Amino acid sequence: MNADTASRASNVERIKANALPLAILVIMAIFSLTEPAFLTPGNLVGIARQVALIGIMAVCTTFVIMTGGIDLSVGPVLAIAGLVAYFALQADLPLVMVIFAGLFAGALVGFVNGAIIALLQLPPIIVTLATLSITRGAALILGGPEQHLIRDEPAYSFIGAGNFLGLPSSIWIFAVVAAAMIMVQRATPLGVLVAAIGNNERAAYLSGHSTWATKVLVYTISGTGAALAGIIQSSQVHTALATYGPFGTELDVIAAVVLGGTSIMGGNGSIARTVLGVFFLGVISNGMNILNVPIDVQLIAKGTIIALALALASRRQ
Amino acid sequence: MAAPPLIRGTDLSKVYGTLTALNNTNFTLMPSEVRALIGANGAGKSTLIKILTGAIAPTSGTVEISGTPVALGDPRAMIRNGLACIYQHANLAPDLSVLDNIFLGRQPTSRFGLVNTKAQRSEAQALMARHGIEVDVDVPVGNLPTVKQKEVEILKALALNARIILMDEPTAWLSASEVTKLHETVRALKSTGVGIVYISHVLDEIFAVCDTLTILRDGKVVAETDVAKINRPSVVELMVGEKLARDSAQASSKNRHPRGTGEIGLSVRNLTKHGVYRDISFDLYAGEILCITGLIGSKRTELLQTLFGTVKSDSGTVSVTGAPAVFRKPSHAMARGIGLVPEDRHRDGLMLGMTVTENLALATLAKFLHGLFLSSKGMAEAARASIADLSIRPPDGRHEVGLLSGGNQQKVLVGKWLNLAPKVLILDEPTVGVDVGAKAEIYGILRRERERGKAILVVSSDLEEVLTIADRIAVMVSGSLVALHDAGAIGSKELVREIGGIAA
Repeated sequence: MNADTASRASNVERIKANALPLAILVIMAIFSLTEPAFLTPGNLVGIARQVALIGIMAVCTTFVIMTGGIDLSVGPVLAIAGLVAYFALQADLPLVMVIFAGLFAGALVGFVNGAIIALLQLPPIIVTLATLSITRGAALILGGPEQHLIRDEPAYSFIGAGNFLGLPSSIWIFAVVAAAMIMVQRATPLGVLVAAIGNNERAAYLSGHSTWATKVLVYTISGTGAALAGIIQSSQVHTALATYGPFGTELDVIAAVVLGGTSIMGGNGSIARTVLGVFFLGVISNGMNILNVPIDVQLIAKGTIIALALALASRRQ
Repeated sequence: MAAPPLIRGTDLSKVYGTLTALNNTNFTLMPSEVRALIGANGAGKSTLIKILTGAIAPTSGTVEISGTPVALGDPRAMIRNGLACIYQHANLAPDLSVLDNIFLGRQPTSRFGLVNTKAQRSEAQALMARHGIEVDVDVPVGNLPTVKQKEVEILKALALNARIILMDEPTAWLSASEVTKLHETVRALKSTGVGIVYISHVLDEIFAVCDTLTILRDGKVVAETDVAKINRPSVVELMVGEKLARDSAQASSKNRHPRGTGEIGLSVRNLTKHGVYRDISFDLYAGEILCITGLIGSKRTELLQTLFGTVKSDSGTVSVTGAPAVFRKPSHAMARGIGLVPEDRHRDGLMLGMTVTENLALATLAKFLHGLFLSSKGMAEAARASIADLSIRPPDGRHEVGLLSGGNQQKVLVGKWLNLAPKVLILDEPTVGVDVGAKAEIYGILRRERERGKAILVVSSDLEEVLTIADRIAVMVSGSLVALHDAGAIGSKELVREIGGIAA
């Protein structure tokens, strides 16, 4: 009986593991049959470039969701990191310091999120909702309402707008961050601990682990990821603005993670599959853009697809 | 006799696979009768109660309520027939008021479907007046003392027109004065014609409040009598049975190692936590198994939590292999060589969604660290060794722990702590919910670890288990360690008396 349930479980695992890539291929086939422009190298690179920012954030916030938490503050963190980088550039700091300053701003917000959630044991959704508001306010104080143009900074501009071996540098950064996080998940104690906390936080603590330190770390990673996305964006559009990363950014990020099969209740999850979730959403919006689907219809279609995909995934479980 | 019995269960049997949990049992309860139902763990008490409450259907047999046969295995039918069960743990919504709790799920409504608070209030007042219970109905239940919460549960049952109330260890969480209060309530209920089945380990209470007595052993009724016609020693003897008495005598003659190697592993002196446990002192030696036994609510688990760093004591000292120790969290205790296998493996022990390999490694991740990275090869090898060593089935580390049987889950949990190579291994109820075969395997593992020189502390309510594996036995009653015996020097009857807090 045990062997039976195990083999049934592994069949389910196999279907689950392949459903998302299959779905992406099916959707791509449909789009390319209806619109030849879809399946061109230029468009495919375009998709990757479009998803890079959400992708970096989603990959960095997967651990948070695996611990049973959530990070709603990624949008304003993206904005404030761009502004901090802009002012660091204005102060003529070396590029490394500029990047460090931007990332530090995001790491700080993440650290505060994690510390409040772990030490005061408050619900993550409320804590990050509060820091979302606070960080947006801080960004507006720092940057004001106006756009800050980033001119004549070729090195900084290369971060988001450059090309390396024929691909935009933002894609490379996404690839490196995703590869690094996949490795952290698969081959470091942090990966095991995050899953353990999501599965059974109490048992993780009773196994001698410092669950609060792990939580602080995963929120810090999430904040740093959002800041990296903010630096890349400000470099791509040569502008820093306090209202970048508008309302809805965090929802796109969470949708990608959850589509990748990570349970919103915490526990099991996979960063590699978050990357697939990111591309799934990216392909859908790109295809609909090419087919000239109006934006209102796009929003409804996207929401419906997310709900359907999740319903299917939970049925299979 | 004019009135038919409230309950008449006839020839009730329940078979699980090869195990007969209940064997042709008859059970009756008359109006205004308080019947004690007693028996050791595994005697069939819970099975009988589950059949009466409708939680399970018997394999054979019938139940009549007030003379009418009822559908079995249907909890709602039993409630409709006027049967209610009050469990050890409160079954109430702590944030809602007493009134809301009493009428939860079936509030009387006025027109427009609004809750009719006035009707609720007057119904509750009438019930309280009739049954001699007094509770402030507007207070949230969570703010009430435990005994009052029991009364709320009783009111809830009465509001459903219950004529039969089962009370499962109703006093497990109560203080002595609260017990007296609860017994007054029981007597008041009785005077209004309600029949009560009173399930308890505490013989004092049974002699104080019950009229009649049914003793179960090995799934059979071994005695059914008026409480007035029996004395305590006979009750104990009937509960324990000649077999266990004989077995324990045999086991005691061979292979006991009281005080093990003579080296002290863990030493506890005057450990006190106000209102929980007090003045606990004992030494645990390397190479012995010391069992602490007692009733549910005797605060054994809280004592273990202090020894593992999750509950702070107010005074007293703990030392490990001679050196004083203060633990503020589990990792401190682990660093000093203490491992704790918790009672509730699902809540406190295992990551059910993770693999056997991951679970086995979880308390010792540092062992598998190469620089920044975990060696998955090392983890898999260690898991293979544990799986072979502990006969975990199926023998594949890649299985999710949640898919394993209870016994194998428990072996994984024990294996996780053995991987720490602790000097002191503490186990809280190590074989709860584990089948007989796995039980024997776990005992084998514990004996082997004892031979390897570990100091092993086991908390167990299962008397048979205690008499089977212990080298020494400590008895805990209401937060105090009342006795400490060499296992060979005490029989099961004396032990039952001590556990019940009865002076020998």
